[in-house]
Amino acid sequence: MMLAAFAEPVFDSQRTFRELLQAMARPAVPRRLPVLPPAPAPVRPEAMAILLTLCDAATSVWLQHPAAEVAGHLRFHAGLRLAEQTQQADFALIDAPASMPALDSFACGDLRYPDRSASLIMQVEGFRTDRGRRFAGPGIRDTEMLAIEGLPDEFWHRRAELSAQLPLGVDLYFVAAQHVVAMPRTTRLLED
Amino acid sequence: MTPRYNFAFLDEDTKRMLRRALLKAVAIPGYQVPFGSREMPLPYGWGTGGIQVTAALLGPDDVLKVIDQGADDTTNAVNIRRFFSRVAGIATTERTADATLIQTRHRIPETSLREDQILVFQVPEPEPLRTLEPREAETRTLHALADYGLMHVKLYEDIAQYGRIATSYDYPVLVDGRFLTSPSPIPKFDNPKLDRSPALMLFGAGREKRLYAIPPYTRVESLAFDDHPFELQSWEHHCALCGSNDSYLDEVVVDDSGTRMFVCSDTDYCSGHRPEARA
Repeated sequence: MMLAAFAEPVFDSQRTFRELLQAMARPAVPRRLPVLPPAPAPVRPEAMAILLTLCDAATSVWLQHPAAEVAGHLRFHAGLRLAEQTQQADFALIDAPASMPALDSFACGDLRYPDRSASLIMQVEGFRTDRGRRFAGPGIRDTEMLAIEGLPDEFWHRRAELSAQLPLGVDLYFVAAQHVVAMPRTTRLLED
Repeated sequence: MTPRYNFAFLDEDTKRMLRRALLKAVAIPGYQVPFGSREMPLPYGWGTGGIQVTAALLGPDDVLKVIDQGADDTTNAVNIRRFFSRVAGIATTERTADATLIQTRHRIPETSLREDQILVFQVPEPEPLRTLEPREAETRTLHALADYGLMHVKLYEDIAQYGRIATSYDYPVLVDGRFLTSPSPIPKFDNPKLDRSPALMLFGAGREKRLYAIPPYTRVESLAFDDHPFELQSWEHHCALCGSNDSYLDEVVVDDSGTRMFVCSDTDYCSGHRPEARA
């Protein structure tokens, strides 16, 4: 049987969007998502909330593991298109970061239109703000400390390599345990 | 609230399109994101860009303030406030401190904004280079290459002609050291409030179909030269109503013989600083 989506589509997506906007404006700070809709495995409810808020027939989404039930759920509730190639995706859902494709295989925009770039929704295991790496950049007053559990170390090397191409790049939404952390391309990982 | 409209007037597809564009705008500070601007029930030039951004943000719990050149009680501000209370049923206020969302035409409130507030600017011309280079394809390329020599030449010509940089409003800024950006036609008096602001600032240009953002705590530098640094205007007058000497003043002609009066442009700030309010 098919699962439901947002109970109140207009207001649930508005509330979710405002959290996403604040998350993007204040990177590396976990924010609690106000509404968690049902989601078929392996999609987490936090990731489903973002997809239902932002995606429709005008967007294409790449799924790392396109299970038939997930594809059917998203097509029915959001009317979105599924992308075959990472390069064509506006959004990508990564449920296993350890085996994800290279960051630069997603659209990074072009210099005249850096907004034509992918947004990655990455399901991780958890966030810690009492220890971890330090981040700086627009939206961060001094520095923010954050540990993202379930992310291979190599991921940060790949992301740092991509940052040489600013303002090109991809923007990230990490989700775990009812929270979202956004990390736009401009957020820098500080070397200790 | 008028029930014949979707909440906040726009349909959900349009809101999603705006929301996706706004998130990219925040992720690329100062870069102008194209969006599918809709026809609104008021003409271009009356704040259609700001209204569309506000409509994409607005929720039932928001408290909206709208100002036009600092004033809450001018035609544009009153009508936009009334529009949103009709199509979204939200609460409105004239007090800066009580608002969660502030839509503004050409001013930044004098009262410091907080992290939980969002400021939405109405922008007539989002492209700071447009008067120097009319072709969109060319200005895109100049932004791609971060080639802002044209603007420096323009400011230099001001100095050569007038002995100082004569631009007093819509004074160009560099956001996060990368994108040359129009702060919208705010007086340059307000430019320092853009730098490392605690509040998120969003800009919407309806006719030009562009929106952009300055995230909180982001470096915003007003262009200048080492030997001609950025300078603020100052007045010898105080506000005739509240006595303030540190707020932006409007010069008002008060009678047929040309008597003038200087008053705060920010009406909420002014009413909060009058002697009777302080007592």
